[in-house]
Amino acid sequence: MISSRPATENDSVVGVMPKVVCLPDTVDDAASRIAESERTGESLAFIGGGTDLEIGSPPDRLDVVIRTERLDRVIEHAPSDQIITVEAGMTLTRLQSVAGAHGQRLALDPPLADRATIGGIIAANAFGPLRTRYGSVRDLIIGISIIRADGVIARGGGKVVKNVAGFDLPKLMVGSLGTLGMIATATFRLHPLPEASETLLIKNQSASDLRNLMAEMKRMQLEAAALAAITVGPRFDVAVRFEGFRTGVVDQRERLRSLIAVCELLDPVGEQRFWRRHDEIRAAGPMRLKIAALPSAIELVMRDVVPPLRGLLAAGGFIWYPKLGLGFLTGATTADQEIAAAIRKARETLALTIEAAPLGVRKLANSWGEPGAALPLMHAMKQRFDPTRRLSPGRFVGGI
Amino acid sequence: MSTAPLETRASTVPSEVADRLRSIVGERNCIVESSQLRTYESDGLTSFHAMPGIVVLPASTEEVAQIVRVAREASLPIVPRGAGTGLSGGALPVPGCVLVGMSRMRSILEIDLENGWMRVQPGVINLDVSKRIGAEGYYYAPDPSSQSVCTIGGNVAENSGGAHCLKYGFTVNHVLGARIVLSDGEVVDLGGPVADAPGYDLLGVLVGSEGTLGIVTEVVLRILRKPQATRTFLATFPSTEEAGNAVSAIIAGGIVPAAIEMMDRLAIVAAKAATGVDWPDVGAVLLMDVDGPLAEVEHTSAAAIEMACAAGALEIRRPKDEDERALLWKGRRSAFAAVGRISPNYVVQDGVIPRSKIAEVLGDIETLSRESGLRIANVFHAGDGNLHPLVLYDAKVPGQEKLAEDVAGEILRVCLRFGGSITGEHGVGADKTAFMAEMFNESDLETMNRIRCAFDPQNRFNPGKVFPTPRLCGDRPGIYRPHSAELSGQADRV
Ligand SMILES: Cc1cc2nc3c(=O)[nH]c(=O)nc-3n(C[C@H](O)[C@H](O)[C@H](O)COP(=O)(O)OP(=O)(O)OC[C@H]3O[C@@H](n4cnc5c(N)ncnc54)[C@H](O)[C@@H]3O)c2cc1C
Repeated sequence: MISSRPATENDSVVGVMPKVVCLPDTVDDAASRIAESERTGESLAFIGGGTDLEIGSPPDRLDVVIRTERLDRVIEHAPSDQIITVEAGMTLTRLQSVAGAHGQRLALDPPLADRATIGGIIAANAFGPLRTRYGSVRDLIIGISIIRADGVIARGGGKVVKNVAGFDLPKLMVGSLGTLGMIATATFRLHPLPEASETLLIKNQSASDLRNLMAEMKRMQLEAAALAAITVGPRFDVAVRFEGFRTGVVDQRERLRSLIAVCELLDPVGEQRFWRRHDEIRAAGPMRLKIAALPSAIELVMRDVVPPLRGLLAAGGFIWYPKLGLGFLTGATTADQEIAAAIRKARETLALTIEAAPLGVRKLANSWGEPGAALPLMHAMKQRFDPTRRLSPGRFVGGI
Repeated sequence: MSTAPLETRASTVPSEVADRLRSIVGERNCIVESSQLRTYESDGLTSFHAMPGIVVLPASTEEVAQIVRVAREASLPIVPRGAGTGLSGGALPVPGCVLVGMSRMRSILEIDLENGWMRVQPGVINLDVSKRIGAEGYYYAPDPSSQSVCTIGGNVAENSGGAHCLKYGFTVNHVLGARIVLSDGEVVDLGGPVADAPGYDLLGVLVGSEGTLGIVTEVVLRILRKPQATRTFLATFPSTEEAGNAVSAIIAGGIVPAAIEMMDRLAIVAAKAATGVDWPDVGAVLLMDVDGPLAEVEHTSAAAIEMACAAGALEIRRPKDEDERALLWKGRRSAFAAVGRISPNYVVQDGVIPRSKIAEVLGDIETLSRESGLRIANVFHAGDGNLHPLVLYDAKVPGQEKLAEDVAGEILRVCLRFGGSITGEHGVGADKTAFMAEMFNESDLETMNRIRCAFDPQNRFNPGKVFPTPRLCGDRPGIYRPHSAELSGQADRV
């Protein structure tokens, strides 16, 4: 018997509460519950740690939530091959401690790692500052097994880092928010834990200073593992993290210092404080907007996009990843009308998605923005994987 | 491996179809003469051949879209083709097909160094990308050994790798966007220079789909700043076992080399014969690159050399200058062709194993060699466990070709037994379709086919490739066309 319980507020997906919550103990249990839903016609959503449940639009229907928290086993960790396969409900922190015991890590650092599960991180395409050097989920995942809407388990990829056999099912699942199937297990490439890591803080930078800094670092062939810029008013505090063998880290640090006099080397406490502040801003709410633009557009972003939105948000902040061209604006708001208007205005300049917002704002502004010409193809994909539209229908781009 | 289809008869397309195609690309860019069609009957896997019905050489996305519409109306299969260097029969014509060659789509369209991307047409040669931006200190990372001839479109279709993908990843990690023509002639952009376009990662699915989902007509590539320093060294070993241990030790030491390539005795003999370079007479060599910031590289190369010595290296050679370095890499890059110096014929195999199993797997391969009486040379990307065993044979000896193919197939089974893959970079193509059913079960394959059906419900592109048995898409509804209100993005479906 799969244990289940009545739903509470905490089981809501983008504000929609299911009728019932199931907590399968095994992947097979989850598969049989999903197969059953195909017969009964129940609509489903999947919840891991519940850290990104606000992404997307409210689903049109939601009967059953399947929580993956009991699917938290390590299936295989092969330290000498630097790969790990885990069940989807394992938290990132747990995975890191398993890998860390062998001097390895998954080079992914989204906020709330102690709650965020592997399945949720894949489904939400969650990332943190390390993406600067190691890429995002799609660059690290090498295999997956999913449970389809009809309860059938299917695998894609494998457990070797190099593999081009068949279509890339793992990548299809990245960012799919549970609308194509439930992620049951995943295999990742691991990296060695760095011997040394240092963060330098460069305060009080304008958008054009930041752009110059990026150009100079590139010219000097400095390779940062992580880069993040946090706004303080109209200017940035920029953090540059170097990782690797100690000699290399020290050398890169000194070369950066020779470039910028005002650069401050953080001690371990200061380093922790900075990255915690970063995580807090990322996870702040109830409003979270993700913006995407070319890295060189930062001056425009800081002139036309951020001020009107920031002006309507209390607390939170703005984080920009200068190499990725991605940023997050977070905070609290009561001005639903105004913020919705500011979002529409911002979309004239760049791509903006609402990753969390009060229902009032959602009613006034589409969560996804302009879906683009590939939308019919995405609908076709949905139709092939979930022909009866039972997996979070309406949550994804363009009403998928 | 299956036996080569013997279809070599020309089955030309109906003349009115040929006329319509001519009107799209022009008389000169349409080939129907059987003697000229012969150029296109195979790709790099020359044991397979089939005649296309017609070859068309478009110059633009619009021309490709028109060609696809004509072929669709005439119910003809379409096979895209780059430089034809593929080693799995991916560009092998389906008999009577419309073969769409990319040789006229060779322009670099846009370069944005600050944001690190470049937009190119699919017929651009891989190496030409790096050459174009080299003087400014930038490059394109994926470097298949065939990089001086293969095309970006082919690389995208195969998700090609190269020696340096251990550190930098494969084609899929360096493609930011693609423009494709779908089977109904629609043109769609997937991804682009701006990160994280909302929606499914269809670009990730397209890369590596072997020409079965659409025709790529533009590609946005990630370009990188060159690393500050690169150190190369060659380590010699008594046997592949010590060399394999050295690889494991280096990786376990927390070093991520840019490349570690291994060659065994027979491959070394071949490289020596082909390049005239004084390769050492040993059981195995490792060719290794470490790159990155100078101080880091000095440290890691010294550490890696120490580990290689501890694992039993006989000698470490460091190239004196860039020329000598290039020569070492040339020896490695030309290893497949070099084997032609020591054997009249050979089968190139491509399989993957967990890196820690190198010694065991090479042992099993040696057993296969002994039992079959065929020599097998091993050249491979040791860092990621991607083997390229070369099974040597003489086609003039009756039965030997078949035996060589059987042995090559058995090697894939060894890879699967150790939890590996039937292909690391050359693709499934026409060659390994049967092995797909040994690596994946029916549910896995049926699920992948759903991806195929979402893109190309009529199986118009490259039919018969990748999947073990022909699969139809069922009578599920075709591509969903959303209501215009949904597209306008005004409101959610709340
Ligand atoms: C000596 C030698 C060494 C090699 N070394 C490597 C190596 O180190 N790493 C590696 O990965 N590969 C290697 N290869 C294999 C081969 O070069 C690659 O697979 C390459 O990417 C093929 O490119 P191509 O332009 O020749 O494509 P083709 O062989 O013409 O086509 C390959 C596939 O791509 C499809 N295709 C081509 N263009 C398009 C397009 N525009 N749109 C859609 N589909 C398209 C074709 O239908 C086919 O399925 C090597 C081959 C040789 C002969």
